Amino acid sequence: MKQLLLTITIFSFISVFSQKQLPNIMLKTLDGKSVKIQDKTSKNKITVLSFWATWCAPCINELDEISDVYEDWTEETNVDFIAISIDDSRTQKRINPLINGKGWEFNILIDKNQELKRALNISIIPHIIILKNNKILYRHTGYSPGFEEQLYEKIKQYSK
Amino acid sequence: MKKQLRISFILLLFSFILFSQENSNFSLGFESNSQYYVDDSKTGDFTLSEPFRANNYLKIDYTFGDFYSGLQVESYAPLALLNYSPKLKNTTIALYHIGYKSEKLDITAGYFYEQFGSGLILRFWEDRQLGVNNALRGGRLKYNPTNYIYLTALYGKQRVGFKVSNGEIFGFNSDIDLSSAFNLGNTALLFGFSYVGRKEKSTITLPAFNDLTNAFSTRLDYSKNNFYSSLEYVLKENDAVFIANKIRSVKSGNSFLLNLGYGKKGIGIDVTFRRMENMSFFSNRAATGNIYNESIINYLPALTKQHDYLLTNIYVYQAQPQIAFQDPTLVKFGEIGGQIDLFYKFKRKTTLGGKYGTKIAINTSYWSGLKGNFDFSNFDYSADFLAFGEKYFSETSLEVRKKWSTKWNSIFYYVNQSYNKRYVEETFGKVNSNIIVAEATYKLGGGKSLRIETQHLWTKNDKKNWIGGTLEINLNQKIAFYVNDIYNYENESISERIHYYNIGGSYTKGASRFALNYGRQRGGLLCVGGVCRYVPESTGISANIIMSF
Repeated sequence: MKQLLLTITIFSFISVFSQKQLPNIMLKTLDGKSVKIQDKTSKNKITVLSFWATWCAPCINELDEISDVYEDWTEETNVDFIAISIDDSRTQKRINPLINGKGWEFNILIDKNQELKRALNISIIPHIIILKNNKILYRHTGYSPGFEEQLYEKIKQYSK
Repeated sequence: MKKQLRISFILLLFSFILFSQENSNFSLGFESNSQYYVDDSKTGDFTLSEPFRANNYLKIDYTFGDFYSGLQVESYAPLALLNYSPKLKNTTIALYHIGYKSEKLDITAGYFYEQFGSGLILRFWEDRQLGVNNALRGGRLKYNPTNYIYLTALYGKQRVGFKVSNGEIFGFNSDIDLSSAFNLGNTALLFGFSYVGRKEKSTITLPAFNDLTNAFSTRLDYSKNNFYSSLEYVLKENDAVFIANKIRSVKSGNSFLLNLGYGKKGIGIDVTFRRMENMSFFSNRAATGNIYNESIINYLPALTKQHDYLLTNIYVYQAQPQIAFQDPTLVKFGEIGGQIDLFYKFKRKTTLGGKYGTKIAINTSYWSGLKGNFDFSNFDYSADFLAFGEKYFSETSLEVRKKWSTKWNSIFYYVNQSYNKRYVEETFGKVNSNIIVAEATYKLGGGKSLRIETQHLWTKNDKKNWIGGTLEINLNQKIAFYVNDIYNYENESISERIHYYNIGGSYTKGASRFALNYGRQRGGLLCVGGVCRYVPESTGISANIIMSF
């Protein structure tokens, strides 16, 4: 345990000096094509990545709420929002009908064996990441009702 | 030698960190799940050693230019949580890797995860909740000669506990995007082919089988406009069949997976059909059927809906790809079945939609054994291709989500299940159950909210009726508390009428989360993504810490 704490301290110290960059990992589009995440994030404007899964109730609650105000968000801040599903092959086939059935208009990408999730050290979902030029500006794990309002404040703050 | 290798690896990593500041990126993740088990007259006293147990994971990743590296320290001290593999003990660097990645090339040495196609032929992944980590230790080469051809070749031995498998794994995968190659416009057409070989030396000569078992997968994905489909066929060549820890026969296996769907704004439909015959595939043959999910080469999840609620997760189907000759009335050699999903949104400002719209989701699934003839004394069988045998499981569920105002949300959920316990768990009985869940969330403003959930399970079988409920309070975006309870109030044995209550709270800040919980764990299967781990009944106080930097 002591060793563990020591390791954490050392590495946290080092981490202060390095910038947080989005790892360029291959994801899948809904129709099965391969794309690199950095080719999907926009340059010089804010991109929000939302990690979710079809079986994650708080994720669905969060994305349903954001979907209701999504038009306003994009009009007012020009933000790009990408919902990255970490569903594995058990539930992956449910992504397409779910997003259509719910009428979500986000960009959807699939992290099929959770490579990006792992590279970003995401343990639990939902998990939100705000990016600009692939630099990580903000992260948040979990969802409590009403968080979307706080998230929007953050987006506006970084969009300035 | 191994220790030296590890030490030099760490030194290498450190020197990279020290010498490369430009273009470098450092990422760190820590997760700790610990529990202090206490005596409880209801769930049984804790009679094992070490009532305090913890599973800790520290993951460090470092990239510099085109190079990347990483390691994961795992600590199971004083001991791992209940029912994790006994091979997981003490603290060690469990995983490490180093690699080079450019536009077209990606080379990795060390431990890595991988998936070919849907995983039906090969999947290496990690699930800490379930204690699954079957990463491969060896080398991998990924090469994309063009932007529509993706090739992967790999070799290695699979992680088992803190060691590796006896069996060696050889793999090759190709994915070709034909639609980009031939400029097919808005049509997507993808072809995939994979090979997986598992070589494990055996001293057994009767029955005769090869050390090397070959498996092949071919896939085709097609989508156009709102329609999409995919098809996969896997063939596993003759291999020894382990039944009750002994090689009893030699059989080949195969699997067929078909998926069709249609989706446009407001509606989505998906249909899946799958047939599997003798598809268990392990890096160590003798690991067949092990309860710790070790040495698994391929991913064979149950294709049923993954539920969110406590009472909907009592009778959980698990895929039945394996051969079992339990007794002449309980013989299995695979499964056949499918599921249908429908998602629909009643538009805003319609009768059923109301002010904010109403969203529904319907799922129905049916799974049964393969039909065929068998010879019990010789552990032999022949299976029909498209015929349904003994029914294993069926389920229909309806979910209705409704937003009433900016403050009120509700979910109604109904599930009807038919669970053939005798065949799925290889014990006794059948269970027919109905479950209703009603949930409401009320936002109080300023991040405060309240969530109430009530559930009931009706069944005349097994342990009879259950009732349950949850109350969750979010004080703000950082602090939350919850209390829940499920109670098997109709259990015929009065002593088994137990309140499985839990009470806890969490504090979240950015990507870090701390949670404390006290309560009783219901014994049974804990399932994540179609793979299950058996957890015993227990009572205790648990702490979970998650941090990422």
